[in-house]
Amino acid sequence: MKVMVCLKQVPHQDARLDVKSDGSWIQEDNIKFEINSYDTYAVEEALRMKDKAGAEVVVVSIGPDRVTQALRTALGMGADRAIHVNDPAAIGADALGTAKILAAIAKAESADVIFAGLMADDGNGAAIPPMVAELLDIPSATGVLAMTADGGSIKAERELEGGALEVVEMPTPCLIAIQSGANQVRYASLKGIMQAKKKPVDVKSLADLGLADSVGGTNNKTAIKKIYVPKKGDSAEILKGSTDEIVAQLVTKIKELGLL
Amino acid sequence: MGTILVVAEISKGAIREASYELVAIARELASAGGHEVNGLVIGSGVGDLAKTFAGKGAGKTYVVDSAAAANYNPEVHGKAIKAAAKAANASLVLISNTPTGWDVAPRVAAGLDCAFVSDCFKASAAGADFNFVRRVFNGKLDAEISSTGQTVATIQPGAVSAFAGTSDGATEALSVDLGAKSKFVEIKIAQSTGVDLTKADVIVSGGRGVGAPEKFPEVIQPLADALGGAMGASRPVVDAGWLDHPYQVGSSGQVVAPKLYIAAGISGAIQHLVGMKASNFIIAINKDPDAPIFEVANIGVVADLFEIVPALTAAVKAAKG
Ligand SMILES: Cc1cc2nc3c(=O)[nH]c(=O)nc-3n(C[C@H](O)[C@H](O)[C@H](O)COP(=O)(O)OP(=O)(O)OC[C@H]3O[C@@H](n4cnc5c(N)ncnc54)[C@H](O)[C@@H]3O)c2cc1C
Ligand SMILES: Nc1ncnc2c1ncn2[C@@H]1O[C@H](COP(=O)(O)O)[C@@H](O)[C@H]1O
Repeated sequence: MKVMVCLKQVPHQDARLDVKSDGSWIQEDNIKFEINSYDTYAVEEALRMKDKAGAEVVVVSIGPDRVTQALRTALGMGADRAIHVNDPAAIGADALGTAKILAAIAKAESADVIFAGLMADDGNGAAIPPMVAELLDIPSATGVLAMTADGGSIKAERELEGGALEVVEMPTPCLIAIQSGANQVRYASLKGIMQAKKKPVDVKSLADLGLADSVGGTNNKTAIKKIYVPKKGDSAEILKGSTDEIVAQLVTKIKELGLL
Repeated sequence: MGTILVVAEISKGAIREASYELVAIARELASAGGHEVNGLVIGSGVGDLAKTFAGKGAGKTYVVDSAAAANYNPEVHGKAIKAAAKAANASLVLISNTPTGWDVAPRVAAGLDCAFVSDCFKASAAGADFNFVRRVFNGKLDAEISSTGQTVATIQPGAVSAFAGTSDGATEALSVDLGAKSKFVEIKIAQSTGVDLTKADVIVSGGRGVGAPEKFPEVIQPLADALGGAMGASRPVVDAGWLDHPYQVGSSGQVVAPKLYIAAGISGAIQHLVGMKASNFIIAINKDPDAPIFEVANIGVVADLFEIVPALTAAVKAAKG
């Protein structure tokens, strides 16, 4: 059984986000990056499949040089191999272009199960995983919180609204986009990190994947015109003063509300 | 100019309010861009619902009525939407950004090999193309996105008011091959246990900014106790196992509206806001002055929660004497 995990490296959740002066994206110099939070749960779910039934776990990421770090972390957690698509046209691809790259890799790898995160913490698209499944003509489920595999069949529980879960059954190959909180994510052990140094990271270009000139650039059907800090509407009254002064104002307000 | 196809979502035998929000957006875009609005209703035994949709703003409405579509399935519903987009010659397909919408919409866009933009709260026509505004970085920034050619877009529920007028429109049945590899098994409703936040007058919620599990009993719970209220949390706190799911406030937790909601170390992502923004009075404590939580709060404190919350707890206790 072969399991592929799509993972994206995104700005650290506590990184300071400064918009570039041309508004095209955030400034990426001098900030820390990490594996997208949803993808850490996806890696864990793949490793649990491997622990239980035996599987080769291949982690795949599209991004610049810094992405090596994210792939090494996943290898340190227990993944077997990594594929890194490092190509400017791939990095600049829109969601559908990115999905085409991931689908091409899944096909070449003959992946039985493809794991992804529900959404990326940067663009919040929640777009790419179902696209990959559609391109491969395989079933998919997003927002998955729990799953069981039984031979060539997978039962997955998707999160809906109001505490409801939808149970679906899919034959492999299939794609599962994991919701946060699906499991408790393991850390890369020291031994794991040492072993990871010997595990292969395959660096590929779009040409290597037979996708030269077919994704990114003028193939993009969507473009970010600009990003910006949302305009402040009817915002909160911000209290000023020392801690004691602020607390006194809060107590006065709570009394006015009749709650003290 | 082609059409704008509005995909209705059916829940508990009725068309959801969010679908009429899509109608409102579609009608506005259509009048600016010279499009026609069409509807789509998918399900089993949904002929009457399709007539309702056609008469309440969607205009001409396609119906995919089949036992195979009785339950939501991304392959089945994806095939139906792709077929309707072709039949309607749709320039734009609008779908609500709900758990079924975000599951199926990207499949439709990939199948049609067209542009896709998700979770938008604003849309405008730009000649033959469209522009959208959506939140990125979990609510911290906004992005303006342009799309070229045929486009599938999902819209954030609640972004605009639902269309409440009427329209003339016939329904047209579409016959579509709805074969699917996956199958629906059942819907499970998680049984709620213990904590019922909806009954509390005061809720003090802590977010990822609280930083560690032991800080909830040490810092957050004492303020909730002093105010005679309950403790709540944002999702990452529950995901990390610091608190159990019944404490979670938000779209996938409890939706609350207490007399006073205090948010400490919570950034204010939309999924949290929909769970608490109806509160009568909101106090937000966050060290980031740009945190989106301040947009819905009545009073904001830009400071370290570990300075403010314990001091406030002491002051509340002192005030009670
Ligand atoms: C389908 C779906 C459903 C979801 N459902 C929910 C839901 O029901 N509920 C929910 O909450 N989220 C939900 N989310 C997640 C949501 O998108 C956000 O990721 C989440 O709300 C962020 O939680 P947070 O504000 O605690 O963390 P963060 O966004 O990381 O914010 C932490 C905040 O703490 C501040 N901070 C840090 N240290 C301090 C300090 N010492 N003093 C003061 N401030 C400090 C920081 O400035 C920051 O603003 C859902 C997401 C999806 C995709
Ligand atoms: N550049 C990328 N490389 C690998 N996987 C990605 C990439 N971008 C997105 N993904 C996968 O798709 C998921 C959803 O991303 P998105 O659709 O961008 O919100 C992520 O959680 C990843 O699993």
